[in-house]
Amino acid sequence: MERIVICGGKKLYGKIGIEGAKNAVLPIIAATLLAKGSSQIHEVPYLADVNTLCDMLSSIGAKVERKKKSLIINTNLVHTSEATSENAGDMRASFLLMGPLLARYGQVKMLLPGGCAIGSRPVDLHLKGFAALGAEIILEHGSISAAAKQLTGARIYLDFPSVGATENLMMAASMAEGQTILENVAEEPEIVDLANFLNNMGARVSGAGTNIIKIMGVSELIGCNHVVIPDRIEAGTYMAAAAAAGGEVLIENVIIDHLKPVVAKLREAGVVVEEEADGVRIKSDGVLLPVDIKTMPYPGFPTDMQAQMMALLMRAKGTSVISETVFENRFMHVDELKKMGANITTEGHTAIVQQAERITGAVVKATDLRAGAALVIAGLMADGTTEIKEIKHIRRGYDNMVEKLSSVGADIRIVETNDDAGAERTA
Amino acid sequence: MPDKFESTMQFSSEELQEEKVKEVIKKVFEALEEKGYSPVNQLVGYLLSGDPAYITSHNNARTIISTLERDEIVKVLLNSYLRKKTASE
Repeated sequence: MERIVICGGKKLYGKIGIEGAKNAVLPIIAATLLAKGSSQIHEVPYLADVNTLCDMLSSIGAKVERKKKSLIINTNLVHTSEATSENAGDMRASFLLMGPLLARYGQVKMLLPGGCAIGSRPVDLHLKGFAALGAEIILEHGSISAAAKQLTGARIYLDFPSVGATENLMMAASMAEGQTILENVAEEPEIVDLANFLNNMGARVSGAGTNIIKIMGVSELIGCNHVVIPDRIEAGTYMAAAAAAGGEVLIENVIIDHLKPVVAKLREAGVVVEEEADGVRIKSDGVLLPVDIKTMPYPGFPTDMQAQMMALLMRAKGTSVISETVFENRFMHVDELKKMGANITTEGHTAIVQQAERITGAVVKATDLRAGAALVIAGLMADGTTEIKEIKHIRRGYDNMVEKLSSVGADIRIVETNDDAGAERTA
Repeated sequence: MPDKFESTMQFSSEELQEEKVKEVIKKVFEALEEKGYSPVNQLVGYLLSGDPAYITSHNNARTIISTLERDEIVKVLLNSYLRKKTASE
């Protein structure tokens, strides 16, 4: 078992480069199934989720080749539209294969998806959308089948602006007959990046980034080259880390417009945030003011930054109120932060964070991806040593996190342990 | 024959702004085209949504377009269209 071990209290100085966005690259990898020929995707991060999805593509016959930060995917030899490998249960994004497989092959069979345990994220919206496009859906024995000789464009109103459903329906509708109008869709930057990729393959998608997307179906798509946008959540995480630990860090390769709510809250907390041509500079003396945060769909404050901001606010001078409105079970990090001295109480979807008397290192467990990032931030602020277990969650979304933080002065490393007893016993 | 570029010329701030917008659009258009995108579709997407992800980072195009407000771009495009339309009538 590996653990992350952090000796807190070090200020951070230097530069951190941001990778391509996990939540953009996963649907783009899925979308390669729509096209004939090869697609080259650049700025692909080294993440467990990326590997899992690539393995799923390979298992159905796609040729996937990795060359440094690029992926070359050829789906000409895909021989089945049954993506029922065991990997599907590990990752929610596996469900994104459903739309493209249905569109290109007329039928698909998938296992119900997995992912972080941050709440119920039903796939009803995806299925209702596929049905509206003319697919027949059958759910049985933990798997979902869909079939349609030819998908037909439709007007579809999403009950909730679900990112996954928006992406899946965009991909399916790209090869449907006629026009599809998707209303009340998600407006996240990752949706725009997917639209860019689809359009570059020959699709006719317009309106991505607004709440209405129009898609005129085409009969064929051809592989293309694409550069993935920078990961706004990775950038936000390192911004929060620098603000929490103190020091001065330049976060490079960011689209600052995608980080407006995070920048606003960090400034409200007293952190100096300077926008530069291709990056953002964080200056902090580690003294923070309390702020209130309410998570919302984009362009509101991202739920994927809630846990990291909570860790940061543990040391703010006063009381912060954090409301989680997107997922119903996203305070699992609270109990772990409390082990480190956090003064946090939760009531329903609200967490009240009061200044901790002292933040101290402890043995804690990453319960999900962003919870793991929050524990790293808490560890950077803490007195003494923090050990984080279950770092597989962190690896799902952060490429080289330990190396990046280490390069700016954090005392952080990965330690191999033989049992649950802890890193120090094996040292 | 006198060279008009040798003479002193006067530009209004609106004209200068229009020139700047045209120059930016030209650079961004070329960058998008070089990367295989439909420049018009990408620019329309950017103007509608405000999301810089529509603009490639190739040749610094994403940074260049962020030097302008979207309403300034729309204003110049509309003015240019209306002037041409009026001239052709």
